[in-house]
This record gives sequence, C-alpha cells and structure tokens, in this order.
Amino acid sequence: MTTAIREQTDSAAVRSPGNREIMLSLRDCSLSFGNVPVLNRVSLDVYRNEFISILGPSGCGKSTTLRLMLRLLSPEGGGEVTYASPDLSLGMVFQKPVLMPWLSALQNVMLPLELGEKKKFSKKEAREKAESALRLVGLQDFLNHYPHQLSGGMQQRAAIARALAADPTVLLMDEPFGALDELTREKLNFELLRLWESPETSLSSIVMVTHSIQESVLLSNRVVMMSPRPAGVTDIIPVPLPSPREAGMEELPEFHQTVKELRKRVKHL
Amino acid sequence: MTAKLKDSLYPVLFALGFLILWELAVRLFAIPMYLLPAPTQVVSAIDGSLWSHTLVTLGESLTGFILANILGLVTAIIFVHSKPIEKGMFPLAIALKTTPLVALAPLLVVWLGTGYSSKVIASMLICFFPILVNSVKGLKAIEYEAWELFSTYKGTKREIFWKLRLPTSLPYIFSALKISTSLAIVGAIVGEFVGANKGLGYVVLVSSYHMDTPVMFSAIIASALCGLLLFWVVGLLEKKFIFWTRSDDL
Ligand SMILES: Nc1ncnc2c1ncn2[C@@H]1O[C@H](COP(=O)(O)OP(=O)(O)OP(=O)(O)O)[C@@H](O)[C@H]1O
Ligand SMILES: [Mg+2]
Repeated sequence: MTTAIREQTDSAAVRSPGNREIMLSLRDCSLSFGNVPVLNRVSLDVYRNEFISILGPSGCGKSTTLRLMLRLLSPEGGGEVTYASPDLSLGMVFQKPVLMPWLSALQNVMLPLELGEKKKFSKKEAREKAESALRLVGLQDFLNHYPHQLSGGMQQRAAIARALAADPTVLLMDEPFGALDELTREKLNFELLRLWESPETSLSSIVMVTHSIQESVLLSNRVVMMSPRPAGVTDIIPVPLPSPREAGMEELPEFHQTVKELRKRVKHL
Repeated sequence: MTAKLKDSLYPVLFALGFLILWELAVRLFAIPMYLLPAPTQVVSAIDGSLWSHTLVTLGESLTGFILANILGLVTAIIFVHSKPIEKGMFPLAIALKTTPLVALAPLLVVWLGTGYSSKVIASMLICFFPILVNSVKGLKAIEYEAWELFSTYKGTKREIFWKLRLPTSLPYIFSALKISTSLAIVGAIVGEFVGANKGLGYVVLVSSYHMDTPVMFSAIIASALCGLLLFWVVGLLEKKFIFWTRSDDL
C-alpha cells in the first residue's frame, strides 16, 4: 500500500513541471478524539504551484486534516506538520461561512487583516484589499450588507473573499462551494483557477476538500483519496489534464477516464 | 408606518376600555373606596409628592441596576478567564441568589441605614444574578469555527475578547438586562418597605396604614410605570445594538 502511494506521488511530481518545492507537509499524522481514532498515519506533501483536492466519505476526517495543516490541532506522537517557512501564510475557508453577524461584508473581510500583534496593513490598505477581494467574488454591490442580509451562497462567497484578502500562499478550503448552486459554483471554480494561476497573487498552492468527483478532476493536479474512519490517504491520483484548465475540458477523454478511475476507487473504499 | 401606528394603538385602546369598565363597575356596584377606588379617584389622589417619591425609587433602582450590571459583567469576564475562580465563586453566587431578598433587606437597613444606599444595594443584589449567569453563558457561546478563524489569523486573546466574545454575548446580556429592569424596582421597593421615609414603597406602606387606597393605587401604578419605562429604554438600546437578530417583539 505504502509503495503504491509513493509511486503515485512520484509520478505526480514528475508531471508537475519543474518546481518540486514542498510548501507544507504532513508526516505520519495520527489523531484521535477521546478514544475514537480519526486519522491513521496520514502523510501528504503539498507542493508549490499545485492544486490538490481531497475526496473521502463524510465524517472520515477531511476537515480534521485541514485543521492539522493549519496547526489548529496537533498530531499525536510521531506525527509532524512542517511548513516551508515559519511565516508561511495560510488562508482557510471553513465548511460554514463563519461570518460575524455584527460586521458588514466589508468589515468581515477586513477582520483577518487587522488581527494579530504586528499590524499587517493600515486601515486604508485593509479596506482596499477587502474591496478588491469582494469584487473578485462578485459582491462589490454588497459591501455594506450584513450577513443576515446575504443569501447562503453570498455568505460563502464573502468567506472566500475573506480568505483571499489576506494574501495566502497556501489556501485551504473545506467544501467551499458545497452550498452553492451549479451555475455559481462553476463560475467560482474558474475564478479560483484564474486567481491561482495569476502571477499577481501570492497564492501558490490550494488544498480543497470536495464531495464532487467532477470538480476535483477539473480543478486539481492531484486528487487525494481518504478511506473511512480511521482515515488514511489511500490513493493519490494525478490528473492528466493540461493546464491552464479551461471550460470545456470536461469533454476531454482524459477527464472522463480520471472521473471513471476515481469512481471505481471510491467504490472500493 | 401606519401599521406600526395601528399596532401601538391597540394597547392604548384596550387600556382605555379597561379603565372605563373599571370606573363603571365601581360606580355601578358602589364599591367602597378603601377596597377599590375608581380610576378618577386615583387620579385625584395624585399630587406633587407622588412625582418626587417616584423619582426617589427610580433613582435607587436605576443606580442599583447599573451598578449590578457592571459588576455582574466584570465578574462574568473574570469567571470566563479563570476556571478556579468560577468553580470557587459560582456556588456563592447561587447561595446569594437563593437567599430571599426580603430576608436580607432588614439587615441592609441595619448596616446601611434608612437612606439611599440600602435600597441601591437591595436592588443590586436582585439584579446581579441574571446578568452574571447570562454573561457567562454569552461569553462562552462563541462558535468553535469562529474561534478557529481568529486563531488561524493570529488573533490575540484581547482581540478574541473584544471582537468575538463580547459581541457574541450581547444578545445574552440584553436578555438579562430586560429581566432585571422589573427586578431592580422590586429591590428598591422591598428596601423601602423595611425602612425609609421616602420612595414609592414607603408611600404604599404608609397609605396602607391609613387605608388610603387611592394613594396606594397611585403609588402601585407609578412603580409599574417605572418598570415599563426601564424596560422600554433597554428594549430601544437592544434594537440599536443587536440589529442582526430579529427581536422576539416583546
Ligand atoms: N471536536 C471534535 N470532537 C470529537 N470528535 C470530533 C471532533 N471533530 C471531529 N470529530 C470526529 O472526527 C471525525 C472526522 O470529522 P471531520 O469533520 O474531519 O470529517 P469530514 O471528513 O470533514 O466530514 P464531512 O465530509 O462530513 O465534513 C468524525 O467522526 C467526527 O465525529
Ligand atoms: Mg468536513
């Protein structure tokens, strides 16, 4: 099993052009809540300039894995979470929007920019960053709306804007589009890709948890599959689609093949 | 706007109807005044002194209310930041809560005299518990993910308190404030019953000695109006501060 993973990791790395710099890595991370084992020796490297999707059955520990990456949880003895640099900037989009109901959309997006001991940005800079992030997710007309005045999908987009505004190098997303309709979802998928590929943002790597096999194939360079609890990484599947990804690639035979492959493996879990 | 006007018209109409019925009943059945005075008799019993007694009671209860709520909030903040203090002191707070104020009031008068302070303390004692319990609950009511969000972006303890805990607790705090408005008046009046020479409680007590029921009624109604006034002010502040939840139209 382990060798199989090694192989696939390597082949994926070969495919991802040139740069093999590791941004973040989980090494042998196990975790239990009380006496319920959730993660079982999870290892995963996130490379620079790659988009990873995590697929797995509900309750298997995908959100927990992201929390390990954020160092909100620490792995049990023997496990290790390492960053490329100590001040690696991570962004997080939670499964729920988690907006502060007493702050407007703009203020919510500005919030992370104003947290922390060292002032990262001036008020004016923070405001500009927040405004452009909200424009990116199409909420430019709702800057001063409060969360209870926004629809569920708009709230989730505000949460994405909040993560983007802080200029993350590695962006972790926990089913960011789960609550959105198909149309918005598709649009945001490509927006996200565009952002990730754009040389203007510092965004280098994205790790996204998703329930949609299609979405994972369309967006990512590698798809990580996790087994039911206690979850480990069972497979890492490289996606042989050319980059940059474009609309219409869903028609390519490689797309169908990978989707089929993933379906087959999901059934075996 | 017209709907709103209509809404506020209903209670006025009902109150008016009730008063008219009351007046008619008293006249029709010739109920003696010492049992139930008619509204008109109550109104004619009102003089300038009622106003000054009302101000005394309102002042006492308002002071007690404000002090208790500040003290309760500060205590709650300490509790939330220190488990040992919370564990050690919470039973004391409950003991204080379960001791009837009526039993404590004479002691307060012995200690503090018949003046202003014994009533303020009585009012404080009764208002302290609701704010304490609700603030502790509210300050702890933060969403786990919200805490994670603050941690992810390196929020300090201070920021977590001011930007997350405190705003989260506001609805809880306001529901305690609403409960306390009427309690504050009860506290002051109980204090006045035990020993005072002014205030609405004093008026009620003295008029009961003299079987001066119309005056008694006027004082009772004045105390009810004081409670309503406080409740209304707190309600207005609540609407202003907690705009993000639909209030339950109390
Ligand atoms: N704070 C916690 N305390 C106790 N158990 C927890 C906690 N958080 C998660 N778990 C358990 O860990 C397991 C994995 O949870 P996690 O949220 O990581 O799943 P998931 O893969 O993200 O599921 P979903 O796709 O439904 O979001 C679950 O069985 C859950 O019950
Ligand atoms: Mg999850």
